[in-house]
Amino acid sequence: MIELENITKKFPGADSFSVDRISFRVNEGNICVFLGPSGCGKTTILRMINRLEEPSSGNIFVNGKNVLEVDPSGLRQSMGYVIQQIGLLPHRTIEQNVGLVPELLGWEADKTRKRVRELLEVMGLKPDEVVRKYPHQLSGGQMQRVGVARAMAADPPIMLMDEPFGAVDPIVRIRLQDEFLSLQQKFQKTICFVTHDINEAIKMGDYLIILNQGRLIQMGSPIDVLTSPADEFVLSLIGEDRGVKILDLTRCETLMEPMRETPDDLMGSGCFVQSIQPVKLALEVMMKKDSDHVAVCREEKVIGLLSWKNIKKHINRVSGEDE
Amino acid sequence: MSPFYFILNNFSLVLEYAMNHISLVLTVLVLSLSFWIFTGLIISRYDRLASAVISFSNILFCIPSISLFGLFMTMPGFGLGRKTAVVVLVLYAMMPLVRSVYLGVKSVDASVVDAGRGMGMTTSQILLKIRIPMAWPMIFAGIRVSVVLITGIATMATFIGEKNLGRLIHQGITRGNADMIIAGAIIVSLMALLLDYIMGRIQKKIVSPGLRFQPGD
Ligand SMILES: Nc1ncnc2c1ncn2[C@@H]1O[C@H](COP(=O)(O)OP(=O)(O)OP(=O)(O)O)[C@@H](O)[C@H]1O
Ligand SMILES: [Mg+2]
Repeated sequence: MIELENITKKFPGADSFSVDRISFRVNEGNICVFLGPSGCGKTTILRMINRLEEPSSGNIFVNGKNVLEVDPSGLRQSMGYVIQQIGLLPHRTIEQNVGLVPELLGWEADKTRKRVRELLEVMGLKPDEVVRKYPHQLSGGQMQRVGVARAMAADPPIMLMDEPFGAVDPIVRIRLQDEFLSLQQKFQKTICFVTHDINEAIKMGDYLIILNQGRLIQMGSPIDVLTSPADEFVLSLIGEDRGVKILDLTRCETLMEPMRETPDDLMGSGCFVQSIQPVKLALEVMMKKDSDHVAVCREEKVIGLLSWKNIKKHINRVSGEDE
Repeated sequence: MSPFYFILNNFSLVLEYAMNHISLVLTVLVLSLSFWIFTGLIISRYDRLASAVISFSNILFCIPSISLFGLFMTMPGFGLGRKTAVVVLVLYAMMPLVRSVYLGVKSVDASVVDAGRGMGMTTSQILLKIRIPMAWPMIFAGIRVSVVLITGIATMATFIGEKNLGRLIHQGITRGNADMIIAGAIIVSLMALLLDYIMGRIQKKIVSPGLRFQPGD
C-alpha cells in the first residue's frame, strides 16, 4: 500500500509548486493511473515515492512505513521503476540490463538468466535475438520494453511505471497492455502508472488520478470519471467521445432488459453477445447485422435483450444531456 | 640511412639508453595511473576540490619542462637522478589524466545514473558499475595522450642525469651530428607509437562494445 499525505514539492529556484498538497492512497493489488498534461507533476510524484526526490512537506508511507525512515537503496530495490527516459545502461548487454536488480540482490546467475528470458518473452522480444545485444542496437520501442522488463526483474511487489508504453506502436502497445493486465490478474501488484493516453488510462486503471499544475483535480474509477467529470478541464482531457468510451467500460448485462425468450431470428442470424462483453461490442454487432436489438447470453443461454433505445438512453443519462 | 648505421655501430649504447628510457616511462606511467586516476575519482565526488585540483594541474602543465626539471633538482632531497625525473614526469601527466577521469566520470548521461539510482544502486555501486565503465573511452583518451607525452618529455630528463634517448639528441646537437639526433628522435617516436598501440589494444579489451559504436560514430 502506498499512501501520500498532503505532499508538496517545490524545486529549489522554482517559483511555483510542482506538486501541491496532494493526498491519495493506492491499495494493495491496485493499478492507479496518473493522467494530466505535460509538467503537471506526475513524474515528480513517482520519484518522491521511491525517494529519488524528497517532498518539501507532507508524508509518504509505503506499507505503513514512512519512506524517509527506510534505507533508500532497499526501498528502491523493492519497487520496480520504469523511468520515462528509459535509461538503459549502454555499456551492458540487454541480459545484463534486465538482470541488474537481481545482480544487486545477489541472485544466482542461473536463476537470473531464466528470469530475464521469461520477462523478455512477456515483453514480446525474442530472448535469443536480444540478450547479447547492446541498447544502441535496439529500436526505441524495444528499448522501452527492456526497461519494463528490467523493472519487473526481481518481482517487486510495487511498480512505478512512468509512461512505460509511450514509445511502442499502437498494435504492440495493446498487446503489452493485455499481457500486463493478465499478469496483474495473477500477481496483484500495487502499481502507479503514468500515461498521456486516456484510452490506456481507462483500460489499465482501477482508479485514475487526474492532475493539473501540481494539483489533484479528480480521483475515482474510470467509469466515475467518465460519467461525472469534475470540471471543464477533466472533460477536455477525456474527450468529446466519452459516451462511447463509457460503452467500452459498461457490460451488456447492465443495460439489457432481462428475459428468457428472445425472437429466434436474433440467435439464428448471429445477432448476440455475451453478458460480460462491453456494450460497444453490442453496437458493433447491431451495425453489422443491421438490427435494433441483440440477444444477451450467458454462455449458451439467453438471459436478456439489449436494444439501441436503451443504449441511447444510457449515453444521454451519463453525459448529462436531455433526451 | 646513416642514422640507421649510427644505431648499428653504437648498438650497445643505444640499447642501454633505450632501456633506461623505457624503464623511466613505465615507472612514471604506473605511478601516474594509480595516483591520478584515483585523484580524478576523488575530486568527482567533491566539486569544490575539483576546480582547485584541475587549475593546479593546468598551471603545472604550463611550466616549461626544462625549468621544472631544473627547479626540482635544486630542491633539497631531490638533486640529480631518477627520483627527480620520475616526480617531474608524474606531475606532467597529472593534467591529461586527472582531467580525463574527472570529465569522463562527470559527463555520464544523467538519465543513466538516474536509472541506476532508481534501481537501488548505492553511490559506490553507481561509480563502479556505471560511471567508470562509461568513462573508459574518455579515460583511455587521457591515458594515451599522457603516454606519448611522457615518452617525449622524458628526453629532457637527460639534463638531470638520466642516460636515456634524450642524451643522443642532446649530444647530437652539441656535436653537430645530425645522424645521432635523428636516431634518437626516431627511436623515441617508435617507442611512443608502440606504447600507444599497446594502450589501444588494452582499451579494446576494457571498453564495452556497447560504448564503442555509438550512433553517429
Ligand atoms: N529537477 C527539477 N528541478 C526543477 N524543476 C523541476 C525538476 N523536475 C521537474 N521540475 C518541474 O516540476 C514540474 C513537474 O514536472 P514533472 O516532471 O513531474 O512533470 P510530468 O507530469 O512528469 O510531465 P511529462 O508528462 O512531460 O513527463 C514541471 O514544471 C517541471 O518543470
Ligand atoms: Mg514525466
